[in-house]
Amino acid sequence: MTIAPALTEPVLDDLRQVVGGEHVLTDRAARFNRARVPAPFPVHRWSERVPDLVVLPGSTEEVSEVVRIANAHRIPIVPRDGGTGLTDGAVPLRHGIVVDVKRMNDIKEIDEVNRTCTVGTGINMLKLNEVLGRYGLIYPDDPASYPCSLVGGRIGTSGWSLIGSRYGHSRDLVLSFDFVLPTGRVIHVGDGAGRKLSKSSSGYQLKHLFMGHQGTLGIATEATLKLYPKPEAELSPFFAFPDYDSAYRAVGELARAGIATFAGAVLFDEWKVDYLRRDDEAYIPQPADVRALVCAVAYGYEDEVVAGGRRLMRIARDNGGRYLGDEVSEGDWAARHDRYATPLHGRTLAGQVIPMSWHCEDAAINYTNLPQVRLEWHEIVRRLRERFDMFDDWGMFAYTSADTGVDYLTEIDVGIWEQRLDDESWAAWVQAKKDIAEVALRYGGSISACHGSCREGEVDLVPQELGGGYDVMLDVKRALDPNNIMNPGKYGLDRAYEPEAGGAR
Amino acid sequence: MSTYRYSEQYRPPEARQVTDVAIERFADIFEVDPKLMTAHVVQQVFPNWDTLRIVASRHDHLDWMHRHWAEKVVSGQRLLDELDD
Repeated sequence: MTIAPALTEPVLDDLRQVVGGEHVLTDRAARFNRARVPAPFPVHRWSERVPDLVVLPGSTEEVSEVVRIANAHRIPIVPRDGGTGLTDGAVPLRHGIVVDVKRMNDIKEIDEVNRTCTVGTGINMLKLNEVLGRYGLIYPDDPASYPCSLVGGRIGTSGWSLIGSRYGHSRDLVLSFDFVLPTGRVIHVGDGAGRKLSKSSSGYQLKHLFMGHQGTLGIATEATLKLYPKPEAELSPFFAFPDYDSAYRAVGELARAGIATFAGAVLFDEWKVDYLRRDDEAYIPQPADVRALVCAVAYGYEDEVVAGGRRLMRIARDNGGRYLGDEVSEGDWAARHDRYATPLHGRTLAGQVIPMSWHCEDAAINYTNLPQVRLEWHEIVRRLRERFDMFDDWGMFAYTSADTGVDYLTEIDVGIWEQRLDDESWAAWVQAKKDIAEVALRYGGSISACHGSCREGEVDLVPQELGGGYDVMLDVKRALDPNNIMNPGKYGLDRAYEPEAGGAR
Repeated sequence: MSTYRYSEQYRPPEARQVTDVAIERFADIFEVDPKLMTAHVVQQVFPNWDTLRIVASRHDHLDWMHRHWAEKVVSGQRLLDELDD
């Protein structure tokens, strides 16, 4: 085993004292399996990302002690939850210690009266909801990684939810949490000091600061979550359109309709339909005049869903949508809770099937800019594919983030033949990612609505996006993590420690 | 009681070309056209029962996912028919 010089035997002994010897893992499998996330990367560089060791603490106190030891010895720490994030938040760029929170997966309290539950952040939402279902309750945070991502990762990435237009996203659903700072100090973050408050005007609103930091500010260990009645009914109609423009009009009207049970609407463009038509059993037999798709989703009591659903159906029909039927609609929607289970393959330019991994570039884009962003993004991928026959354009979708239709999670899915990536093609992909992010910013959007923006490529544009806000990020990072031990190398935050770093002053 | 015969399991029904890139051997079960899987990824051979089992399991999983999220599913077709009434 090769480990960081700072990880001498006495330090290892200290860690074993804290979490128990069986929860300090140094074997190759434990470390290599925690070196990456699902997003493709040049696998010949895998060893650059392998942590020196893995610890699995069982409590907030143990996490705090592990962090204190790391901070005292200047050893990098990388928090890891499900490891399902797509922007490398859980990837150890400087080796060091991965703190894997999966042992902290207890349900500590279900408060049926105040409609909250308190959990260890290592719990998965699907497993949590299996228990909550017995109480007629649900925690409606629904990423595409629903069966495998964890509550703590949703806090660290400030996750986006498929049904966020109805129930809000992770930032709205997480009421408060215990948080271990880079020095080992434990604070409680929420609205005010309360554990179960949804609104406070006391002091700075720190909850948002400690969500979406991609593990650069610390580790959430125990969270109190907002619960809803488990929906009585679900509706998820899919509609086919003969062209993008009519589908675009329809999705806009659906999103702006103000229907209380509306949980989301999705627009699939021509490239996405082409992709589905070659590999998805629901779409292979669709007639050739299907060029775009729209889906709308509603949850709630049956009488509400039926009333709102009639309105949704009428809007889609009046905009030229052809209903695809109950079987396709219900099956496709159910599959969207579990996209990480999708077997992936793409095509060479000659049409041959190749194994591919899924890279999805996302941005937050206003409705009015969706058509143009779509064309510019596809052009970037077309040029890339022309040079390297290991990238495949799997199309785009735009997904409502809110209940008013103001902005959309806009995503282009790119298949990448990961095993063929070399330094040259990787550099070209990183440049393409940067170009994609640049388009989003040029149209007044944000680099990411969902995945985060700390991966190679788009991360270079974060200072441009945030302006003076990025200087504040540098100041916050330096103040809270004086030794830069917490997930170093992410978000360009190393520059906070450069002598000339001026910050926001 | 059905009788298992090994040779039958490895004799799938004749393929029907559905599109330029897909074929169908069993009803509503589509496969990538084998001619597109010759260079880099070769199609695996499945016994018929296993193909049908995989598809049925997928449907079971999707049914489970519906029940997990809501007590019942509202039919879009029913709502559409009501608009026309």
